[in-house]
This record gives sequence, structure tokens and C-alpha cells, in this order.
Amino acid sequence: MSEVKLELASLAKSFDEVEAVKGLSLTLRRGEFLSLLGPSGCGKSTTLAMIAGFEEPTGGDILVDGASVLEVPPHRRRIGLVFQDYAVFSRLKVKANLAFGLEAQGVPRRERQRRIAEMAERLELVPILDRRAGGLNMSEMQRVALARVLVTEPQLLLLDEPMSNLDAALRYALRSELKRIQRALEQTVLYVTHDQLEAISLSDRIAVMRLGELQQVGTPEEIYEQPANRFVAEFIGDPPINLVPCEVAVSGREVAVTTALHGPLPLGSGEIAPGPHLLGIRPHDLRLSREAGPNSAETQVRVVENLGAEHVLHLDYGDMLVAATVAPNFAEEGDSLFVSLDPERLHLIDSGSEQVVACRALEGVA
Amino acid sequence: MAKRKHSWTTALKRGAVIVAALISFLPIFWLFSTSLKPYDEWAEWPPVWITERPTLQNYRIVFFPEEAREVAAEQEGSLDYKVSGSAWKAFQDSAIISTCATILSVVFGTLAAYSIVRFRTGGENFPFQFLTVRMMPPIAVVVPMVALFSILRLSDTYVGMILAYTAFTLPFSIWMIRSFLEEVPAELEGAAMVHGLSQFRAFLTVTLPLVKGGILATALFIFILNWSEFLFALVLTSGNVITVTLQVANYVSASSGKLYGVQAAMGTISTLPVIFFGYIIQKHLVRGLTFGAVKR
Repeated sequence: MSEVKLELASLAKSFDEVEAVKGLSLTLRRGEFLSLLGPSGCGKSTTLAMIAGFEEPTGGDILVDGASVLEVPPHRRRIGLVFQDYAVFSRLKVKANLAFGLEAQGVPRRERQRRIAEMAERLELVPILDRRAGGLNMSEMQRVALARVLVTEPQLLLLDEPMSNLDAALRYALRSELKRIQRALEQTVLYVTHDQLEAISLSDRIAVMRLGELQQVGTPEEIYEQPANRFVAEFIGDPPINLVPCEVAVSGREVAVTTALHGPLPLGSGEIAPGPHLLGIRPHDLRLSREAGPNSAETQVRVVENLGAEHVLHLDYGDMLVAATVAPNFAEEGDSLFVSLDPERLHLIDSGSEQVVACRALEGVA
Repeated sequence: MAKRKHSWTTALKRGAVIVAALISFLPIFWLFSTSLKPYDEWAEWPPVWITERPTLQNYRIVFFPEEAREVAAEQEGSLDYKVSGSAWKAFQDSAIISTCATILSVVFGTLAAYSIVRFRTGGENFPFQFLTVRMMPPIAVVVPMVALFSILRLSDTYVGMILAYTAFTLPFSIWMIRSFLEEVPAELEGAAMVHGLSQFRAFLTVTLPLVKGGILATALFIFILNWSEFLFALVLTSGNVITVTLQVANYVSASSGKLYGVQAAMGTISTLPVIFFGYIIQKHLVRGLTFGAVKR
């Protein structure tokens, strides 16, 4: 588990004037499931194409098992790739699709049949082995694409947004399926997605990218609880984090924030410049109550959004609205509520550099 | 009201198609009709549309000139049928040259188109530059071509004609095959490559079968161009190599001028493969364009 399978060292790619990937450094351990997460155009697919060998990097190196693969053509890298559109050979039967890579690798016939049968069993493809791949539905096609790659036992599996063509129910089913297979085969996976939910539910670690630059790498918990900057804080979390303007006052090393409704609220001690900042508050971290309490401020419910299992309240907060998640039927539109902040669950963001300068992990939090 | 307007435009469109079809068909009909006329009706005025005395003599002159002369000798006031060249050789030469040039053109065209599509060879405007070669009238290069061919000793040879035809149809090949290759998603080849096939093998096993129909259509189109080419055949040969189009022009006699009926007979026969291939093409063109590979 600790062995490094893939290492990207200051990997860079420019197309003419555009820098698609800027000095990306990242390691992937054997058996690990790592997601490259970011909005479209962040360079994640380009990164994948470079690892697979379809694009040549303009800088940096790609190491598999410690050896550079830059000079190795794609067909010799033994890196599996499942495309967004699956690229199943639609004129061939499912069986022939599964045999494709094994034949290309010159695996003997008997061994080939054994491995195909095994993989077909695992991915529930047995009933459709003799069907033409062109007539399959999306879920079947995805399983064929996955089986076709897995049967060749790639040392590294790359998945390029494999769920984006599926509807929500199927996505959910295949997510757990994919996780189960990955665990069972101890397959090292690099998963590219723009869907935070997929990344969080599937990954051991997530690497968040933006405009070709790596923003943060960490476990899903780390990414969610301790975002490194404003972008990561805003990109992860649904409903998205509230960003409230605030004023930081420092006396000695003691830091306190004041917002439109709250404060001054002591945050503990730290090296933070005084002045205007942004305060990130997750919707479920807002404390709401019907009665006034210490440090609470009165606010009005403007909109109630029903998400089924929970409701999202949009509350007055100074001259803006903040979102708060609550149990269903907690409040109705027009209700007056008292809101308070938990100093341990705040993210203080420098409005200039947009870095998170302090959060609940701040040293000496009361 | 709307329905009536619709039927009006439909009728108009159909009418236009029928008129266009008639205009296209008229010369073919005239050619065929003339090929069956006896010599005294060839240039009759008012024109004889359908002869009342059909004869196969014109075809006999094309294929069996000796026999035709014997038949003619028995008739009164017959024509002098001494014609040069042989239709058999013309068909043979045309078949050799057209086939070889077509194969070369399509092979080079496929490779060039592939490199343009996949590796963006030559940049964005490269394919258009190819087409502009075809916008120049061929007559503009005839003189330098004749000079070049005589220096290279390619005049009046099969190799020379094949090279000339290949060069002149290559832009069409590249342009047409490119459009078929663009339909094939790069991902399909990518999938083949991550499964262990080199790029060239991926091209051969995955992409080529998908554009087969399109390449065949291109080949037939190129073949028709080659088969019906006249100008280069005229200036780059001098009797050793003779194409069908040249042979048509050979049916001239010293005493009676152009043998229209014989030319029409030769023309009719040489049109048959063109019509036949044209018929096949339309089927494959449609198929080639609708070969969706990736289900989106």
C-alpha cells in the first residue's frame, strides 16, 4: 500500500500559448484510488492523456515504478484507460472486445479464455458475451469497457469521467460496483471527474485541480474539513460553503472576527494580518435556534429549499443570504431564527491570496 | 393553406429534379441512339431521334473492324472504315492505367488524410491547399508536363500515365478520405492502443474497417475521373499507350470525316463502367457517411 506506483514530477503541458498543466507533482501508491477533481478545462484530462501516452508533456516527468515512461509508446505502457464515451468496438461481439487486448499482447488462447470467463463472471457480462457491443445499453457498455481493460491486468488504470453518460440511479449503482472491483483486484486507479460526490465517495485521496494547477491533495475528509484555499472550499460541498465578509482584529496574538451579525468572536491565537477577510461557513455548521442564546443574532428565513432528507434555509445575513441545512420542517419562510457560529468550524480566508489562513485547526483554539 | 403551399413547393422541387434529370440524360440518350444509326442518319437534319433502321454496324466497327469492312463492302455507297488504333487495346490500357492510378491515389490519399486528421500534419489550412491544386485548370500545366515527361522518358508509357493520374487525383482522394476519417473518433484508436496495438496497427484494425465504404466510394470516384480523362492522355502519349477517350477521337476517316456513329458506339460502351460504378458509389457514399462507431 505504501509503495509508489505512479509519480508525476513537475509535469507540464502547453498548447501553443495555453498552459494546460502547470508543474503538477503527485504520487499514487499501489492499490490506491486517487481522483483528479476539478472543473472542465482544469487540465485533468490532459494529465490523463499524458500518462496514457497520447500527449507528450512539455515539461517534467512521468515515472511508473520509479522509471520514466516518457519514451515508451502508449501500447507498451501497460496502462489501462477507460474513455468517457467508452470507445467500445461496436462492431465486435462483447467477447471479442474482451479478447482484444489479450490478443494484442499475445496471450495464449487457453489463458485468454480463462481470463475472459473470469472477468465476465465478475462484471456480470456472461449473458451478453455473444451480443454485439453496438447494441448494448450504457451500463452494459461501461462494464464492457471496464472489463476489456481490467482483463489485460494493467499496472495502472485510468478512468476518464466514466459516469458522465449515466443517469443518477445507474451512477449510484456503478459507483459502489466500481469501488468493490477496485478493492477486490487491489487495482491502482487514477480517476478523473468533475463530480465532487463521485470523488468523495470513491477515493482514498483526492487531488483538486484548477486552471492546470494542483490546489490540494488529501483524503476526502481533509479536503472537506480543511480546504487549502477559497477554490477548494467552494468547489467541495453541496450546498456550497457560505463566504461571509468579516473583519479580523488582532490584539497581541489573539485573533477575533467580526461579521455583519456576529462578533467579535475569538478564534484563538495565530499569525494573521488584521483587516478584511472572508469567513467560510459550511451550511450544516450554522447553529440555528428559536431562542436567543449567547453570541446569537436574529435573522429571517427568506427561502426554504426542500432536498427531501433535509431542508436548506436561505437566511438574511447582513446584506447577503447564507444557506443552512436543517432537518425537514424545522422552519418556514418568514420565520425568525437565532443563528450562532461555532468558532471551531470556521474557515478564515485571506481575501487577497484566497488561501485559508486559519480554520478550526488553528493553534490554541479555545 | 400551409398544406397546399407545402404540396406546391414539393411539386416545384420534383419538377426541377425531373427537368435536371432530363437535361443530364439527353446526351446519354443521343449517344446511345446515334450508336445504332446507319451512317446516313448521323448528321441528318432535322435530327433523327430514334432510327427506324437500327444497326449494330457501328459496334462491329469498334470491336471487329475486319468483319465490319466485309459487311460494308456488300453495301452500296459504304464508308471508308479504315480506322487507326484498336478498341480492345484502348480498353485494356485504360483499365490498367485507371486501376493502378486509382489504387495508388487511394493508398497515398488514405495515409496522407490519416496523418492530416490524427497528427494535424501541415496545420489547419493544409487540406485546403490541396484542393486549390485542383482549382487550377489542367491545361495550365500541360506544357511543363510534356517537357518533364520527355526529360524523364515517361512519355507514352504506362508508368508515366499512372503517375500523372495519381498526382492529379490525389487531392480528391485526400479530401474525401479525410472527411470519412474525421468521423472516426480518436478514442477508438486510443482504446486499441492502450490495449497493446501500435498506432499503425490500431489504424489498420480499428479505423480502416470503419472507413472501408468511404474509401471504396472514393476509389470509384477516382476511377471514373481517370477513366474519362482526355487532355493528359492526349498530350502525354503518342500511339504506344492509348486510352478509351483517345480511341473515341481515333474514329475519323480520311474521306468522310468524323465517324459519329462509331464514336457514339465506342462512347456508349466506355460509359457503361462509369454508370455502373456511379450506381455503386451512391450506395456506399451514404453508407460510408452513416457508419457511426461510438454510441454517444
